[in-house]
Amino acid sequence: MANPIRGEVIKLYKNLLYIGREYPQGSSYFRDRLKSAFMKNKDVTDPEQIRKLVARGEFVIKELEALYFLRKYRTMKKRYYEPDD
Amino acid sequence: MAARVLQQCVRSFTRPSLRLCTGNLALRASAAPLAAIHRPLSLFVDSRRTRKVALSPSWSVGVLCRQYGGLPPLTLESIKERVMYVLKLYDKVDPEKLQPSSHFMKDLGLDSLDQVEIIMAMEDEFGFEIPDAEAEKLMSPDEIVQYIADKKDVYE
Repeated sequence: MANPIRGEVIKLYKNLLYIGREYPQGSSYFRDRLKSAFMKNKDVTDPEQIRKLVARGEFVIKELEALYFLRKYRTMKKRYYEPDD
Repeated sequence: MAARVLQQCVRSFTRPSLRLCTGNLALRASAAPLAAIHRPLSLFVDSRRTRKVALSPSWSVGVLCRQYGGLPPLTLESIKERVMYVLKLYDKVDPEKLQPSSHFMKDLGLDSLDQVEIIMAMEDEFGFEIPDAEAEKLMSPDEIVQYIADKKDVYE
């Protein structure tokens, strides 16, 4: 229980949940997908492998951030630069 | 040229009056809430006058207690109520099986990820963060209530 990696995984899950609240398809959709992604790897016990998976999770967080920025940017561009019909 | 000068003259003449007008409007707008504030007071006086006829405790309480942005003080009972309410709304918890003492994993069949979600919901509900190390020890509604009461200095 007191595994240090466990804390890391929980933290990752929490961060992903926070960031998934603004997911375009809805937070519940994101939550289900996230849960299944975590459950898929629940039997992994090798610390090295877990580290790798956590790193992948961090990468996903970065991707999501990029996605949100892009969405913001597109909306702004649409509002300010594209002429209304 | 003459026309322009004349135009400017006219403009400078009309502008102050316009400004005055808007100032007047602003004055009126600022006066309106004042009147709104005064109204309950006068009503309070009215209710005081008629208190002997009709007791209206709700009115006097509403006016006497100043209402700031804060929430009513937490009690153990209200914390418990809110915790149970949040849990009932959580879709993976069966409201019928839910008891204040039930263990999330053993009794309700949740896993550790669900427990993390519950703790996050509690953080949202009560507006403060629960550190991970302590969050993983909270395994039943009772423990959550106890923890929140400790953190918020509620002892009754």
